[in-house]
Formats: sequence, C-alpha cells, structure tokens
Amino acid sequence: MEEGDVLRRRSAAGRILVRIGERWSGFFLILLLLAFSLLGRHFFAVRNFSNILYYSTIYLLLAAGETFVIITGGIDLSVGFVMGLVMVATSIVMRDLHAMGVQPAMSMISGSVVGLVLGVFPGLINGLLVARLRVPPFIATLGMYGVANGITLNLCQGFPIYYLPPQVQQIGNLFVAYFLPGHGLTFFRRPSNMTPDDIRSLVGIVPVTVLVAAIFLLVFGFILVRTRFGRHTFAIGGNLDAAIRSGIAVPRHLVKVYVLSSMFAAVAGVLYTYRAGIGHFTTLSSSYELFAIAAVVIGGASLMGGRGSIGGTVIGVLILNVLENGLNITGLPAFYRYMATGLILIAAVVIDQLTPEGYSSA
Amino acid sequence: MGRNAGGAAEWAGRNWALLFLALEIAAFTAFGTHFVSLENLQNVLVACTYVLLLGIGETFVIITGGIDLSVGFLMGFSTVICAKAIVLLRGAALPLPAAVVLGAVICLAVGLLPGVVNGLLVARLRVPPFLATFGMYGFTYGLAEIICDNTPITAPEGTGYAGNEYVFYLVPGKVFSFLVRPQGLSEGDLRRMITVLPIIAVITFIVAPIFAFVLTRMRFGRHTYAIGGNMDAAIRAGINVPRHLTYIYMISSACAALAGALFVLRYVTGTADAGSSLMLDAVVAVVIGGASLYGGRGTVKGTIVGALIIAVLETGMVNLEIPTFNRYIAIGGILIFAVLVDQFFPDLVGRGK
Repeated sequence: MEEGDVLRRRSAAGRILVRIGERWSGFFLILLLLAFSLLGRHFFAVRNFSNILYYSTIYLLLAAGETFVIITGGIDLSVGFVMGLVMVATSIVMRDLHAMGVQPAMSMISGSVVGLVLGVFPGLINGLLVARLRVPPFIATLGMYGVANGITLNLCQGFPIYYLPPQVQQIGNLFVAYFLPGHGLTFFRRPSNMTPDDIRSLVGIVPVTVLVAAIFLLVFGFILVRTRFGRHTFAIGGNLDAAIRSGIAVPRHLVKVYVLSSMFAAVAGVLYTYRAGIGHFTTLSSSYELFAIAAVVIGGASLMGGRGSIGGTVIGVLILNVLENGLNITGLPAFYRYMATGLILIAAVVIDQLTPEGYSSA
Repeated sequence: MGRNAGGAAEWAGRNWALLFLALEIAAFTAFGTHFVSLENLQNVLVACTYVLLLGIGETFVIITGGIDLSVGFLMGFSTVICAKAIVLLRGAALPLPAAVVLGAVICLAVGLLPGVVNGLLVARLRVPPFLATFGMYGFTYGLAEIICDNTPITAPEGTGYAGNEYVFYLVPGKVFSFLVRPQGLSEGDLRRMITVLPIIAVITFIVAPIFAFVLTRMRFGRHTYAIGGNMDAAIRAGINVPRHLTYIYMISSACAALAGALFVLRYVTGTADAGSSLMLDAVVAVVIGGASLYGGRGTVKGTIVGALIIAVLETGMVNLEIPTFNRYIAIGGILIFAVLVDQFFPDLVGRGK
C-alpha cells in the first residue's frame, strides 16, 4: 500500500506522530471519557454508559449509511428527513391499525414493514439522480431533504403522532440484560416481584435498540471490508476512472449505496419510533445530517472519497454523544453540543489536512 | 425565419427561469383570487427579501466554486444578536430609535465574524467550503440558542416600525403621506388606503443592485469570476486569492446578518431558528438563477429571479390555501429540475462551448 511506503520512509518519532494523528479520534474519545469521569458526578456508571449508547443508536445508524456514501466520494444530506418521514409513516400506520382494533403485534409489524419499504424510495431516487442523471450528490440529496421534509409535514400536519399501541414503547425500551444487585442477571425481561427499592436499584445493561443497531453495524462493517460490495465501494471513491475501467458497474453500485444510506435512515426511524412511542417529525434545526457527517469525518473518512471505516464512524458517534452526555451532566446547556460538534468537525478536517497522510491522499 | 425560431429557442433556454416565473404568476392569477393586485405583489416582494439577501451572499460564494451552508443559522444567530442588543440598549435607557439603529449596526458587525472564520478556514487552512460552513452551521445555531436561552427574545415595542411601514400612504382624493402612517382616519378610509413600497423591500432592492454592480462592473467582481473559473489562472494572474475568498465569505455572512436585522425589524423578535428553512431556499434561488456549483458562473439578476420564483410560490400557495408544507417539496423539486436542465441542455441554456 502507498500508505505503508510513506510510513517506512519516516523516522521513528515521525512515525509515532503520524500514528497518533491517524488515530487521534480514539485518543480523543478516551480523553473525553477521562475528563468527564473526573468532572461530572455520576458520569462513570454503567447506567450512564447504557444511557449514552441508548441515545447514540439513531446516530450510529445514520452515520453508518453515510459512511458508505462518503467513501464513494458522495454525500447524503437527506438522512435526517428520511428518518423523520419513516418515523411518521410508521407511527401513522401503527396508530390507525391500533385505532381500528387490530392486534398490537400485527399493527406493529405492519407499521415497521411500511416504514422500511418506504425507506427504499428516497435512496433510489437519490441514487438514480446521482448515478444516472449525474446530479451532484450534494444537490440531489439537498433536493430530497426538502421533498422528504415536505411529505413528512403533510402526513403529520406539523404535530407528533400519538396513540400508538403502548407495547411499542415497552419493546423499544427493553434492555438486553437487567442486573439487580443481590439477585443476579435476567435477560430481555425485568425480574419479577420487585419492590420499589429494587426498581430503583435495577440496572439495565445494553438497550435492545442498541443491540439491533450493533448487529447492523457488524454486518455492514463486515460487508465494507470483506466483500466485493465493499471493495467496489472503496474503488469507486478512490479512483472512479480505474473503477469503470476494471469493469465495475458504477451507476448500479452507486444506486445501491444511496439506497443503503436511506435504508439505514429508515431503520433508525423505525427504532426511534419504538424508543419514543411517538412519531416525531424531523425539525429543521435538529441537524441530524450534521451529526452523522461529522461522525463519519471524525472517524477518519475523507470527503474526497476512498477512505473511511465503520469502526472509525462508531468512534465518531461516540465522541459526539459522550460529549453531549458529559455536557449535560456537568450542567451546561444542551446546545453546547451543536457548537462542539461544529468545532470538532472543522478540527477533524484541519487535522486531516495537516497530517502528511492527509496531503498524500487529498 | 429558421434563424429567428432558433434565436427564440435559444433565448427561451437561456431565460427559462424568467419564463418559469411568468408561468407561475400566470397560473396563480388564473387559479387564485386577486393574485395580481398591488397589495399582493408587494407581499411577494416582502416575502422574497430574506431569501434574496441570503441568496446574494450565496451567489458570490457559489461563483468562486464554494458553498455556504451556514447562512440560514447565521441569519437566526443575527436575529438573536440584534434583538438582544436592542433589549440591552433600551435597558441602558437609550431612546428607541437610537437603540434600534445601534442594535442593527452591532448585529451587522458581529455578523461579519462567522464570515471571517469561514473565509480563513477555506482560504488559509484549505478546509473544503462545504465542511467549514457546515461546522459553522452547527456552531452558530448552538451559540444562538445559548445566548437566547432557547426562548425567542422579544424586542421592545416600536422596533417594528421600519419593518412594517411603507414609503407612501395614499387615500384616493384625501390623504397622501410619506413614510408616516396617517392618523385619525375613518374605518372606510383605512380600508381604501393604498400603501405603496414596503420599507423592508425597498432596503433589499437598494442592496441588491449594489451587489450586482460590484459583481459585474468592479474589479472585485471580475476577480470573483476569475477564481471560480480557473483558480490556477487566477493565482498566476496575481490575484490574492486567499484574501479575496475571505472577503467573499464575509459578504455572505454580512448578507445573512442584514437579513437577520430586517427580520427583527419586521417581526420584533429574535430566534435561533429564524432562518433554518432558508439555507435550502438560498441555494435553490442561486442555482435557479443560472449559477454553476462548479464555479465561474452566476449573476445577482439570476438570483433575484430565483428568489422571486420561491416567493411567488409561497404567496401563491397561501392564496390557493394549499398547505404551506408543500413548499419544501416544490422547492426541493425545482432545485433538482434546475440542475437537470443545466446538465442536459447545455446548448439550450447557451453554455455548449
């Protein structure tokens, strides 16, 4: 690899610096964890770490889809609004079936399926626009951002969707394991016959939504590094001409990548519905796309394409969410998170630009 | 004859946005009620001010081949700064007009800072414009929410004077007044009163030609096109590109700050998400106006047409009682349509060579 040559030619000290520069995000995450553990009360606790993961789920999914798109050299600005669209559609189906007296299980399955199927279309349109009609990804997905937002608001008329089957929220807030001090572990259900004191000291370990997201991330992390689909994704982003000449059906592959991104947004929307028990639409200032793209870039992906990993993206998401959680715990207003994310995003790019590897691959 | 037809087709291709605007107005006139009336057309002008101001700044940025995603939240940030400044100055017992003027000046001055940072990031640190301004987008929104404590700041009563008044008031055959709303009129006279030229639109349409002049007639404008057209050539021709780019991002953020100040003058409130829907609108207005996202192409005139298309759409939807949520669908669709026209009919649009 070219990267290896550059490394070999450098002195030991330089090599260490480059290594740190490459993995700064990992070090930064550890630093953040240390800092907040010292500064904030109750930060370093299983319950709080579970909480951080709980709120990271949707960002993990959005950012994972975005990783694929960014590796091809594209960008998907529509993910937040696609998620909102799916969430509202899923909730409406669940609410209406529930109101018609359909079994809760049936209405939940129907709602989820409708949401996931619906999630294919924005990606399909984005992909066709980018791959077949050669619209710049930034513009195609900005258009979709508007269209998805408009359709969502039409569906929900600007109000959250309430009156879903109560089981929705119960399922969405289950934990993989519950730990009750003195009584041991139970899996997927709360221990029975708990006293109020027990309920207070019950610790949930790993929310179910996180488990679902983790499975998706593992599968697609594997696909990215070990399968032909992943290799083609890197090939397109690394050198488009070479990819075409080596016989990759680039337009078809790009369509798949944009569909993948919007499918991830759809899964995030469905999981969010289960977690909240309400169908939220995406507000214009919620900036999901900012957090997703920032996470991918912090994770070491290059916006020029050809570079990025699911592992890096996970670290990026965790940095942003640990930061949010830590800021809350130390008592700062939640909106510092927007400022911090903006700053870290810019810092990530500047670091990438200043490290020698950044120059050689840019 | 054939040449004439060809010429007409070429003209139509080059001015498809103008034709689209005419069609739009014709459609709303046919299906709406009183769409073409003095009052409604003035509403259109007022409706397009914010998009137009953000769009003008964005035009400069896009001509250089960059993009400024922060303009929407910058405008929200500016409304918060402006409203907060007016409230504080009033609190310091300054008379209202002085507080308003000074508040607006402070807002414009503070509004330049994000542009300086964007410019330095893009020009000196070589951060891609898309990312630098995306970072600023998050930063300014967070900062604005923190300054206003997540609640809209209400400016003192009377701040809305300039934003809601007109240049002329006319009651046919009775009263004619200039800048001051006539007092003590009967209800019938009030109803017949004709108000001409909203001040806020006048300010905007004074600013727009100035920027158009800068872009087309001054060295600054020529350098802007040069940088977007061919960066290497621009550097070799001796243009101080980093400095020029910094000025460009400052113009964009100054336009957003002006839009923010005018928002406070009109709605007497400052809120962090005042402009959150306008980033999309601004980019759309510029792209409809014929600018190329690859740089080197774009005009203020085109952006005015683009902003009018959006404003007519918005007012027309209200007129036809179509839920305004649909504006997002329409604007997203128009954006993609505009890029496709540009992509597939380069000859039609007159950019074949």
